[in-house]
Order: sequence, then structure tokens, then C-alpha cells
Amino acid sequence: MKLGITKRILAITSISIASVLLLAGCGNKSASDKKDKTTTVKIAWRYTGKNDSMERLYTDKWIADFEKKNPGIKVKLDPIKATEGDYFSKLDLAMKSSETTPDIVNEDSFILPSDAKAGYLEPLDSYLNDWDEWSNFTEALKSGGQGSDGKQYGIPGTTDSRGIWTNLAVIKKAGYSEDWAPKNWQDIIDAAVKIKKTQPDVIPFAASVSATNGGESVAMQTFEQLLYGTGESLYNEKTKKWNVDSKGIESSLEFIDTIMNKKKVGPSLSVAMSANFGSVIYQDKLPNNQAGLGMDGNWNTGNWVKGGAAPLDNVEKVLNFNLMPTQDGKKPGYVTMSGGWTWAMPKNSKNHKAAFKVLKAMNTKEMCLKRALYEGTLTVRNDVAKDSEYLKKPFIKTATTALQNAYFRPKSDLYPKVSIAIQQMVEAVATASKTPKEASAKYTTDVQGIVGKENTETQK
Amino acid sequence: MNSSETIGRIPNRSKKRNQIKRTFGLLAPGVLLLLVFFITPMVLTVIFSFTNLSLTGDAAANLKFVGFQNFVTMFKDPELANSIWKTIIFVVFSAVIGQCFFGFLIALLMRGKNKTFRRVVGLIIIAAWVTPEVVVSFCWVAFLSDGGTLNKILVSLLNIKPIAWLYSFPMISVVIANIWRGTAFSMMVFQTALDDIPAEIEEAAVIDGASRWQITTRITIPMVRGTIATNIMLVTLQTLGVFTLIYTMTGGGPGNATSTLPVFMYKQAFVSYQLGYGTAISLVLLVIGAVASLLYMKVLKVKV
Amino acid sequence: MRQKNSIKIAQYIVLGIIAVLFLVPLLWMLFSSVDPHAIQSIQMPSRLTLDNFKAVISDKSILRSFGIGLLMSGFQAIFVVLICVLAAYPLSRYRLPFKRPFMLTILFLTSLPMTAVIVPVYQMFLYLKFQNSLIATTIFLISTSLPYGIWMMKNFMDSVPIDLEESAWMDGATVGQGIRKVVTPLMLPGIFTVGIFTFTGSWGNFFVPFILISSPEKLPASVTIFQFFGNNGLVNYGHLAAFSVLYTLPVVVLYAFSQAYMSKGFSFGGALK
Repeated sequence: MKLGITKRILAITSISIASVLLLAGCGNKSASDKKDKTTTVKIAWRYTGKNDSMERLYTDKWIADFEKKNPGIKVKLDPIKATEGDYFSKLDLAMKSSETTPDIVNEDSFILPSDAKAGYLEPLDSYLNDWDEWSNFTEALKSGGQGSDGKQYGIPGTTDSRGIWTNLAVIKKAGYSEDWAPKNWQDIIDAAVKIKKTQPDVIPFAASVSATNGGESVAMQTFEQLLYGTGESLYNEKTKKWNVDSKGIESSLEFIDTIMNKKKVGPSLSVAMSANFGSVIYQDKLPNNQAGLGMDGNWNTGNWVKGGAAPLDNVEKVLNFNLMPTQDGKKPGYVTMSGGWTWAMPKNSKNHKAAFKVLKAMNTKEMCLKRALYEGTLTVRNDVAKDSEYLKKPFIKTATTALQNAYFRPKSDLYPKVSIAIQQMVEAVATASKTPKEASAKYTTDVQGIVGKENTETQK
Repeated sequence: MNSSETIGRIPNRSKKRNQIKRTFGLLAPGVLLLLVFFITPMVLTVIFSFTNLSLTGDAAANLKFVGFQNFVTMFKDPELANSIWKTIIFVVFSAVIGQCFFGFLIALLMRGKNKTFRRVVGLIIIAAWVTPEVVVSFCWVAFLSDGGTLNKILVSLLNIKPIAWLYSFPMISVVIANIWRGTAFSMMVFQTALDDIPAEIEEAAVIDGASRWQITTRITIPMVRGTIATNIMLVTLQTLGVFTLIYTMTGGGPGNATSTLPVFMYKQAFVSYQLGYGTAISLVLLVIGAVASLLYMKVLKVKV
Repeated sequence: MRQKNSIKIAQYIVLGIIAVLFLVPLLWMLFSSVDPHAIQSIQMPSRLTLDNFKAVISDKSILRSFGIGLLMSGFQAIFVVLICVLAAYPLSRYRLPFKRPFMLTILFLTSLPMTAVIVPVYQMFLYLKFQNSLIATTIFLISTSLPYGIWMMKNFMDSVPIDLEESAWMDGATVGQGIRKVVTPLMLPGIFTVGIFTFTGSWGNFFVPFILISSPEKLPASVTIFQFFGNNGLVNYGHLAAFSVLYTLPVVVLYAFSQAYMSKGFSFGGALK
């Protein structure tokens, strides 16, 4: 047979492709078949490396206990190991289909309204009505889990506040007392300059400025933290208009310019732009007297607790957590942005009932307390906030005080896109590739492109 | 050339029919897979570039055709011109000049050297090529960092302050890293070609009293001209799509200093969640690849 | 004669310097992997330790990801070689009317980055119910390697003379036998080259398996490496370096084994001869 090879190849190809395709398809069907009546609830969150707090919280023992109490439900942890950006992309793709979606997802409160608008998330209101513990959650913080339609899509897991981390040895050497507390932005700049003069090898002031590696932290921990201290905001929830081309935006950028370029009291660009900026500053430099001030969240205590990434004895003797002052000290004198992560149920999950049972077990008083202790985040439950062990946490008093003048990010599904524009604006100023004026002008056109010119305004 | 000879030797019609059948049979598995898993998604990509496709937000729930809007936005976006420019710089310096030049130089120098020596040098250079991209970029980030190998050497030799390479010279850094990574490919291509040059030709030139330089420029290089042209085209196409190396080293920054088209596309599609826009950008890359290849074929007479 | 020698010595020296330059960026990885206190800066290890390797190997999920990666990349390389040899044969040996546009199209396809097509592919996978399937992901990866593979293989086959094949036909061999017994042995360099090229590309591919596979226990080593880059956690450079060394090893070993075959595998000058 001279034509043997042609036919044989065709036959082999078609058979192997067909069988492989069948195999590929079948493999999945049998997995989701409910032959044995147990429902598997898959939990997805972003894995943050060794000492990941979720892994420490939801241990094999915790899962076994839950499964014993709830026969018919199995819990499976599906951590996603990737950068934050890739985490959201992956989650969004997965939630599109009932075949791939996890049953419980960890959503940052800034992207939740956007994912809710995309139709990925199940409203939880009817489930929460039947949960007696829901009333123990702090009322003001519930909005972190709400969509732009006002429905509750997420159960708050943590919240946070931001301030100025201060190394006591460094600030003392610069000629201040240990209870130094900045009253306005100028105080911060003055202290940074003095630190630079007295200790040239120390990083005087650190804030997240790299759009590529800092991501949302640049928008929230750095820019918004400044902007809301000028009395302005990013978005007017009443008029539904975005703030552009304003004095507050420019002076916030000027602060960054002063730190990074004019006075050169920021970290070197190779530190500031590094993918490991956060861990370099808060796990290495700051606790080791190699950095003076750092503008960041209270959750950094999670680094220094026992079992954390860089455990530190007597942390309150080494560091202090100062409130973030407003621009010129206007009352109440301090300000903070507040956010946090929430637990949500994807709409396409087929196991809502079982998943909600797991959610309840994940957010009991005991688990919330443990989480706050492990992570250094603030609790979202009133009963935990009164717990003596919680109150013993280092810096808890300041962090909680800050919450009294806390602002939340805009509840708009467009925020994630605006956030990107903010990050680019901040990086451009920090690297001196644009002046504050130029960067603010670019931000105006960017935002107008995202939300439409008619939805912008200039505050004050 | 070979193929045209072949046809002459297959005389009758039924043989020709068999040949056609055989062609289809042999090409079937490859073409089938390409159609299903490559052409189909590509057609979808083209379609998506006319939509507001997004991973999140309102657009994720309501997919709409937006006509040429993505393309209009793209051509108005100053970032596009920047990205095209950065892509060209990256490709020209790291691939066309860097990899080809060093690949050829090393291949040339390696001729007639001790076998073990060739092996060791070859293995070191190829180790750079086979090392996974993520590891390559991490090694380079460490190599260029403040306390990295390069700065340690420079500081001890020249007594200067460490240089923040990735932030002061970002494009040079990624270009050098890519030369380092890709030279092995060109080296192997040229080694094969140089090995094929009959020894007599160059020996004859030596007897005629030609200098080494003359032999290289007048005999050796013209003889491998075809390989050089093909290699330039191949490394160009390989380098156009380089993403992981740049993104993990600099993230396209600082600012947009190293934002080549694949990085720009990724940022729009996955960081700003504008997938429709991102796919429109990726089509520009495809066009550049096609234009470059056609240009090479015309100017350098690359045979396909 | 003396001048010739000194030129040769100079060439050895230049090559030696180039080799050192190529080695230096890898030093950090090698040093840190055996350093108990590795940092991002390069330093001589205070003492040598295998603890970093032990820590990486003792993690079962990492070993599994290596196994999965080897299987995926291995199968991918084998199938790509098979399909490419088959496809390259008619493209090299026959005069075909659509050959030039076909070769051009597959060449252009190679410049499209994976990130551009991954979302359509994902949606296709959902539609076909292939999601989370390692087999389907491998088939997709095979398809993406085909353009380059076919192109390289065709070029290489062009340089294998047809005379030997023809004499086999004279002896009564079929075309299939001709391919198997005559062409393939001569093609070994090309086969190894395409195989290694494919394996290397697949072994380092993060994005495709990351998006297409949803169960963490099914992910290959190219994805699990990211757990060492944790943004919030302190990067354990020693473990990262040890993982990187282990991760680089399979491709280097593979290359070392096939080096003898590969030396002739990059023949693209066929057109000129």
C-alpha cells in the first residue's frame, strides 16, 4: 500500500484528537458530578508567601472540625499564587463560568463594586438577614462590602487605617523626643530633612510610589491619604462627579515632589521602584533603624508579631505609629483612608447555601480575633474590638482612633481604572519625569477619558 | 530549490495525485491544531478588538461592539507612539545588533578551537538561553541591584557610588539582559553555517596571501549571508513578543521608559481591565511583525 | 607563524572573557542557593549549606509541580517534533501552490504574544469544557509551538539531500518508510533542536497554565515559582535561588545530553547552497 502513510496518519490523528478531546471534557464533568452528595466549597484568596495568614487561620484542623459539624460539606483551599494584578485577572476570568468559579472569593473592597457591576457576585442581603451575628459587625464598615447599587456583596473581613510609622531611635538622633507627632505636612518634611542631616545612611521618609510594583497602594496609601488631608476628595458621592484639576491634587503631588526630588529625603529610586519595596522597608529597614518615617498601613504590625515575617520583641520600644496629619493641621488634625478585604460569593457558584455556611464559620468572633492578631489588621466586629487580647495588640489605640476620621474609596465601578491613572501620576512626579502641574493636567485628561468629561468637576 | 528538483522527478499524473493526497495527510495534524487552537483564538482576538470587552465592571456584563473606537483611542494615545518606538529600539539593539553580532563573533572565534574549550564556553552561553525567563530576570534584577554583582565590581574597581541601573538606565539594562539571554540562538545558527563552509576555499585564500580580515569579510561573511539574513528575521520576530523579561525586570518603567508594545498591551488589557483595547494594540504588533518580515525579504532577500 | 599563534591566544582570551561575562549574572543564583543567609546582594556564603535545597524539595507540592511541568513540557516537545516532521516533509519536498503564503502566515504568527490570545483561548476552553484540563492545556501549548517548529523543521529538511531518499524508493521503499528510515536519522539534529526549543519555551511558560488551570495542585513549576516572590511576605532569597537552580537544571541537563546532535540543528542557510 503506497498510500498507507497518509491514511494511517489521518486515522491516528483523528482518533487521538477525538479521544483526547473526550478525555479532556470528561475529566471535568466527573469532577463536578454530585454522585456522593457532598458539596465541595472552594475558597480562593491571594497567597502572600510563607507565613500566609489564611493558611495559618484555616488549618487542616479547622477544616476537619467544620466538616465534622457539617456533614455533606467539604472545604477546599485554593490559594492563588501570583502578583496582585494577575490575581484579579485570574479571579475575574474564573468567576465567568460555573465550571471554574471558586465558591468563596477574597475581594479587595476597591474592586468589589466593579465586580458586582460585572455580575460576578451574589447579593448577600437575604443570607445575612438570617445570620444573627451580622449585627455584631461594625455598621460603618459594612459599606466596604457594598456595590454601587447599595446591595451587600461582601462580608468585611478586615479593615485598616494608615499613618506615619516612626522609628524611635532614628527620630531621637534627629533631635526630637520619642513622642514626636507631626501636626501637619511641614512637620513631616522638617523631620525628614533633620534625619537626613544627622543620619545620612538612613532612609528619612518612605512612601509607595511605583505604579508598576506598588499598584493600588500608591493610589491609596500615598496619594489619597494626602488628598483627603487637604479637605478635598477623589469623588463627590452626591454629585457623582470626579475631582480633577484642583488645588488639593496639586499640593498632594507637590508633597511627593518635595520628598523625592526637592529635598531628596525619599528612598533611592532602586528601593522605591523595587517589587519588594514594602518588605524592604517594613521588614528590614524600619525595624533595623535604617529608615526613619514610613507612610503606610497599620497592618504592618503583622510583620513583627511572633510567627510573622520579621518578628520583633518589644515592638513599641522600637517603633511608633503616628496619626497622619492633615495638610495644615485643620481639625480634627488627622485623617486616614480605610479599606480592607471582604469575602464574597460568586454568582456562578452552584453551592451558595453550603458556601454561606462556610462563610459564617470563617467569620466567627474567634476566627476574626485570630485574624486580626495574625495580620495586624483592624477588626470589623464590635465584639472583637472589646476583647482584651485584641486591645493588647501594639499600636491598636492609634489605629482605632484614626478610624474616627476615616474615608473610603469611591463606591464606583470605575474606581479601579481611575486608580491606575493616579498611580501613573504619582510615579511620574516621584521619578521627576513630570512636574506636579504637568502630572495633574495629564490626570485630568486621563480621568475625563475614563468617566467622561461631563462627570468631572473641580472641588472648592 | 530542492523542492523544484523533486517535482521534476515525479513523472506521471497518478503520482501527482498521490502526492497531493499525501501532502494533505501529512499536513493535517499540524494544520488542524493550528486552526482550532491558534487561528480561531486569533480571529476572536480581531473581533474583540472592535468591542469594549473588559474583565470587570459594566462592560464585563454588557459586551458591546464599539466599531473602530479602540483604534481611534489607540492612535490618539501618545503611549502608542512611545511603545512602538521603544519596541523598535529594543528589537534593533538587543536582537538585530546585539544577538546577531555577538552570536556571529562567538561562532567565528570558536572555529578551530580546542574541542573541550568550545564545549565549556558553548555550555555557559547556552545556559543563559535555556534558563527560564523568570529566573533570568530575577538574576538580572539581583545582578543590577544596589548591592549586586555589577555594582560590587564597579564600586571596588572605580570607587564610585552604586548605580541604580534599572532606574537610571532601564532600556540599556533590558537590552543587555536580552542580548545575554538570546545570543546562544544566533551563535548556534552561525556555528552550523560556518561549519558548512568547505575548508578548501579559505585555505586557498590563505595561500593567495589574503589577510585574516580579508578572508572574513570577503569570503566567510558572503558565504553565510543567507544565514545572517534569515537569522536577523527570526530573532526580530522572536524579540517583538518579549514580555516576561521586560515586565519582571522593570514593569515597563520607570514611567514608560521600557514600555514596549507587549508590555503596553498587557497593562491596558490586564492592569487597566480594558481587554478590547489591549487586543487592538496586539494587532499593531502583528502588523509590525509582518511589515518587518516583508521588508527583510525584500531588502535582505530572505527566502521563505 | 609566531604572529598566527599570538592571534590564536588572543582569540582564546577574548572567548574566555565572553564566557566569564555570560557566567557572572548567574553567580548570584549559584551562591545564594547554598548560602544559609542569602540576601539580594551578592556575597560569599559564610558557610555552604544544602538546607535551601532541602527546604524546597521537602515541599511536596513543589515536587508535584515539577513532575507536572516535566510531563507537560515533555509531551509537548515530543508531539511538536512528530507533527512538525510530518508537516515539514511536503513543505520541503513538494512544489505546492500555497506554500509561500502558508510559510509566511505561520512565520507572522510567531510574533503575537500569548497575552493577546489568552482570553479568547480561555473563553474557547470554557465553551468546549476544557477548563482546568492539563491535557487540553498541553494540546494548546503544542499548537502554539507549531509555527516555529514547522518553520525550523522545514528549513532543516531542505538541507537534507533528497538523493538518499530516492535511492530508497528505487529499492522499493514507500514514502513512509523513506521518512522513517532515511530522512529521520539524518534529521536528528533538527529534531533535537526543535524538541529542546519547544521544551525550554514550555518549561518557562507562566501565563498559559496560570490562566487555564484553576486547581493549585495541577499547576506546573513555572507557576509555583511565584510563591517565592510573595509581595507581602519576606522574600526568602535562599529558597528562591535554590528553586531557580532546580528549575533551571532540567533544561541544562537536557541540552547537555543532546549537545552532540544539536550542533548541526540550526541550518537556515539552505536557500544559499
